[in-house]
Amino acid sequence: MMLLRLLSWPYLRRHVLRWTLTLAGIVLGVAVFVAMHTANRSIFSAFDKTIDQIAGSAQLQVSAGEFGFDESILERVQAVPEVGVAVPVIEANVETKIPGQGSILLLGIDMTGDRSLRDYELKDADDAIIDDPLVFLAQPDSVMVTKEFAERNKLEVNSRVPLLTIDGEKQFTVRGIMSSAGMTQAFGGNLAVMDIYAAQQVLGRGRRFDRIDIRAKEGITVDQCKAAVKAALGESFEVETPSARGRHFEGLLRSYSTAMTISSLFALIVGMFIIYNSFAIAVTQRRSEIGILRALGATRGQIQRLFFLESITAGFVGSALGAFAGVGMASVITTYMSTVLEQTTGFAQRVTELAIDPKLIVAGIAIGVITSIFAASIPARSAARVDPVQALQKGKYQVLSAGENRRRRRMALTVSLISVACLFLSYSKLFFYAGYVLMIVAGLLLAPALTLLLSKCLRPILKQLLPAEGTLAADSLVQAPRRTSATVSALMLSLAMVVGFGGFAHSFYTSVGEWMDNALNPDFFVSPSANLVVRAITFPASIRSVIEHVAGVDQVQLVRNARVSFRNVPVMVLAIETEKVSGTVHRMPVAGTTEEMNRLTGQGKGMMVSDSFAQIHTVRMGDIVELPTPSGLLKLPIVGIVRDYSDLQGSLLIDRSVYTKWWNDDTANVARVYVKKGEDVGVVRQRVIDALAGHHGLLVLTNREVRDWIMKLIDQWFALTYNQIAVAILVAVLGIVNTLTVSITDRRRELGVMQAVGGLRNQIRRTIWIEAFSIGVIGLVLGTALGAINLYYSLGMVKRDLGGLDLDYIFPLAFVAFMIPTILAASFIAAIGPAESAVRGSLVEALEYE
Amino acid sequence: MISLSHVSKVFEGKRKATALEDVSLEIAKGQVVSIVGPSGSGKSTLLNLIGGLDRPTSGEIRIEGENLAELSDDDLTRVRRDKIGFVFQFFNLLPTLNCLENVALPLHLRKWPRKKIEARAKELLNLVQLDHRLEHLPDELSGGERQRVAIARALSVYPPILLADEPTGNLDTHTGQEILKLIEDLHSRLGSTILIVTHDLEVANRCFRTVSLRDGRIVEDRRR
Amino acid sequence: MSKRGFYGLLMFVFLQQDPRQIVEEAQRRSTSQSQRYEGTLRVLDAKGKIIEKRWQYDRVGSHGSSKAVLRFTAPAEVKGVALLIINHADKASDQWMWTPAINRERRIALQDRSTRFFGTDFSFEDLEERDTNQFDYKMLGEESIDGAACWKLQSTPRQSKASQYSHSYLWLRKDNFALAQIENYSKDQLVRRAHYTDIRNDQGIWTAHEIDMHDLKRNSRTILKVEKLQYNVSMKDDAFTLQALRRES
Repeated sequence: MMLLRLLSWPYLRRHVLRWTLTLAGIVLGVAVFVAMHTANRSIFSAFDKTIDQIAGSAQLQVSAGEFGFDESILERVQAVPEVGVAVPVIEANVETKIPGQGSILLLGIDMTGDRSLRDYELKDADDAIIDDPLVFLAQPDSVMVTKEFAERNKLEVNSRVPLLTIDGEKQFTVRGIMSSAGMTQAFGGNLAVMDIYAAQQVLGRGRRFDRIDIRAKEGITVDQCKAAVKAALGESFEVETPSARGRHFEGLLRSYSTAMTISSLFALIVGMFIIYNSFAIAVTQRRSEIGILRALGATRGQIQRLFFLESITAGFVGSALGAFAGVGMASVITTYMSTVLEQTTGFAQRVTELAIDPKLIVAGIAIGVITSIFAASIPARSAARVDPVQALQKGKYQVLSAGENRRRRRMALTVSLISVACLFLSYSKLFFYAGYVLMIVAGLLLAPALTLLLSKCLRPILKQLLPAEGTLAADSLVQAPRRTSATVSALMLSLAMVVGFGGFAHSFYTSVGEWMDNALNPDFFVSPSANLVVRAITFPASIRSVIEHVAGVDQVQLVRNARVSFRNVPVMVLAIETEKVSGTVHRMPVAGTTEEMNRLTGQGKGMMVSDSFAQIHTVRMGDIVELPTPSGLLKLPIVGIVRDYSDLQGSLLIDRSVYTKWWNDDTANVARVYVKKGEDVGVVRQRVIDALAGHHGLLVLTNREVRDWIMKLIDQWFALTYNQIAVAILVAVLGIVNTLTVSITDRRRELGVMQAVGGLRNQIRRTIWIEAFSIGVIGLVLGTALGAINLYYSLGMVKRDLGGLDLDYIFPLAFVAFMIPTILAASFIAAIGPAESAVRGSLVEALEYE
Repeated sequence: MISLSHVSKVFEGKRKATALEDVSLEIAKGQVVSIVGPSGSGKSTLLNLIGGLDRPTSGEIRIEGENLAELSDDDLTRVRRDKIGFVFQFFNLLPTLNCLENVALPLHLRKWPRKKIEARAKELLNLVQLDHRLEHLPDELSGGERQRVAIARALSVYPPILLADEPTGNLDTHTGQEILKLIEDLHSRLGSTILIVTHDLEVANRCFRTVSLRDGRIVEDRRR
Repeated sequence: MSKRGFYGLLMFVFLQQDPRQIVEEAQRRSTSQSQRYEGTLRVLDAKGKIIEKRWQYDRVGSHGSSKAVLRFTAPAEVKGVALLIINHADKASDQWMWTPAINRERRIALQDRSTRFFGTDFSFEDLEERDTNQFDYKMLGEESIDGAACWKLQSTPRQSKASQYSHSYLWLRKDNFALAQIENYSKDQLVRRAHYTDIRNDQGIWTAHEIDMHDLKRNSRTILKVEKLQYNVSMKDDAFTLQALRRES
């Protein structure tokens, strides 16, 4: 501790800038980690809370996927003697047309008596929340909103609220304002309650409910009640506690959060290199100080401990700041993520408070500290090995890394051989990931040697271009490989991540593009909402004839899609008119033959599944898939595997006839419309719009609009990861700043000489810039190379564990081409500060510097 | 050629230190002047001010009539690179550059055409009798050889003024003599104005004029 | 003394020992083929807010197996909303509500019978007519209500599931067997009190023209005023069906 105060503190004070940059690495890494996880947690907990709050005092919930079920089920449930109270519920996210309010959770409950209100723990139910219950029921435009929502939008009783319904935008009347705790907190207060029978009409649900909330009769346990209800309803219904539904949601988002975690860890590793760099530099610079200490009798252990203490302190300060910043970032990310999730999965979440987990904060700080210690361990070891005699000789650099490079290269070779060996065993998850990690490790081990090699290659080129500045810049890199290589490693790692991720994104976009060309080829789509993920509103099959009668329309294909539970995970089921669709869509099968799968699916003898579904659930051709339906368990064999990106979690395609029969529902969410050959699509579209204008609020979306919408979704899905990569690159660029800061200190005398013999300030700046550019170039070369490998593993990982997508390896040339100027520009920016400080300061001191 | 009037230099720090106080000095073209004095007397500071490496706290310095105080940093550098050559006690060669590159450095900085640079650099190294060491790195040279490279570099554009700060201070006596001889030789051939800071009286005595400094003031200005 | 008068006297003496007989007599006396009135409903909540509604009430059939339709006539927002009640002798009634604006009926589930009837202080259950066989009766003594001598009886549902109330106290006027007051208890706590006043003889049936229902928990009261009361109007049985509700809206 004494040593720390006597030695570390003065050093720290002298190099405030560098330590600030080092800390920035840890701060960013930990901040991203904490922010991502906090955001994740916040969304999950908001979802859980919403479920909880909406569930009110319900102990069990009966549901059948998103398709809902017939009203008559309610009486069957109410007739079960173990059931105390059973109330039907319809739940939907509906767009409010109030600007800036987005969607609102519309809850349809049975408002006949005041029971519902009491069950939902609206404590002041007695104080007549609803002005007049009879009016509320008599008028189907009645809604109850939360006090919060009312205040936010300056609503009072009898104010009008516009909501998007099956009939388009419709005005509703506020006939009650809920103000108590409990349910009103759900969905961030964006909650409206209406009578369930009115909701059925407004949402086009027919005589169907989404859910039945149950409370067991007094004296009956929840389990007894659950068993009794299950027995009464059969397997086709899920009877779960409200909290079990939250787990489904988590399952749905697992791949997203896994991807987030991986990229935040990447950022942390990059941060680790920056720390390593700083400590390595510190050891080099404080060589003589360490020498004096050793000469005065300090043991190696003491020196090593000194550096460990420094790293713990740095790690702790950085991590604490990072955790702090992370919590700050979390709210922004949370908002963004919940929007993305709403748009891609249709599960809207309104997160009003961050779920800050002290354990996560502690974990974040621990990770930061451990990373720092780990990163400082090698420099600390070399500090301990400083030879006092050599260290005290002025002007001589002790070559600490003699032999180290050779050892490293040998290790790198061994590691990459093992990694290649793992490739042959990569059917096993363990070996696959071991191979992945080892490949990265090999890359990192080789980085210093390759950095040196590339610097040497660059020298003649730079000398040719700018004899004075270029040569000196290149020499600076060659002379201090340690200073350079950690930064290059960090940059390399960031770029490898960029290339790996960019490649994945590119392959994904390509694949989705192909799928859209194949499967999304109708001339236009008719849907109740511009957001095709919204399945809350459906329309009756009779719309078909309305559209078909429009002159110029060739064919109408109805689609009904919704999530149902498969092995406790919600999966997307698409009910399509197989025969018609097979005439217009020609998918390349992944397994099975097109004709056969279309025929069997069309006859209701099988289903097609997406390759991602098959991968995620490890099912193969011929396997029987069991789906719960209101009429019992539907069992169909898989007769074909196709590429389908309707849902990121994989999709099941069944015939519409199967759907109408088993689900007893003939509504649809989307109609795919083909125009007769030779007809003008725009004209026909207008005719369809006119035909639909009278009775339904349906939208007619062009093929382009739908494609753009899907692309926008994918962009949003990726955007956050892009940002994380940007953070990783930022951290890497901070590393460049760090390296240059040290470089100009090391070369202060050299730069002084340059000025003394006539170097203008711009020439001095230029040599710093060139050094930065060179680091950028080397990082780019190595990063692209490692990225090519990383891409291979990324695609493997995506296929295995993140969504089961089987994508082709396409090297993202355009992406890399974009990265070149980006990184070079970033390097240039990184060099501005150091370059300026290089041209400032006293020349006299610089020349005497030693 | 070089004219200083009432030049003072005060180093502001935790303790205010006056390095030069009211120094006025005229040095004519072609003179070889030595500046002597005990350490801390301000002789290096004087040299740095004349060389434009530093600026005075007060007073005026003119090089060939140009007032250094009125120049921007870059213009000062231009004066330095066109009119002044530096020779340092510790040579200040760039360790990663070979002899030829070290000598060529100022010429590159002046953006001379490459062919001309190479010719001039070789010519200069020939002048300091190091034509056999063109490709060697400074580390591979002896002290005297390094100083000769440094002198060659200082002379790269044949500046009218050569400033040498203890050029022999880091050399043994014999090598020191050789370097001095080289400087004298160059003076007679090129006719440069030469200022040598030294605490070696023998060196001082070989100069046409000796300025003695003590506590930042000129105490003696002796011409032979 | 006529034969009928004699039986009446005999019964009167006899009834003094048997509370069930008293209730059955009260029921017998109020029996009619049908009933129609226009009701005005005033809800006065704890904060003094008053909501007024009007309905037309039609009932056909006798106690225990009667059918009734209650159709709101005012205010305009609720006009046409109707409640169909089909009472059963041996079990709780079936009730449906009809809302013309969404053109559909909804069943009032048994579990909801204890809830408030559309913001009034009546519960759905309070609108039912129950056969005496579903209850046990106990004589508690005599008390006077509004200056009239009454029997005070306790009624307890035979099946506890059938009612939200654990027991009720009834006050029946000794002079005309008309109901003067009911207190409904839930687990020994008084929850609702109905006070019957303005009792007049209409077509030989003593009928209260004002019922004041007091919800003690909410401290809110609803006053139902009965107007244009008619007994034994001719009504068709098939007017008391869901189809009829639909038709007439």
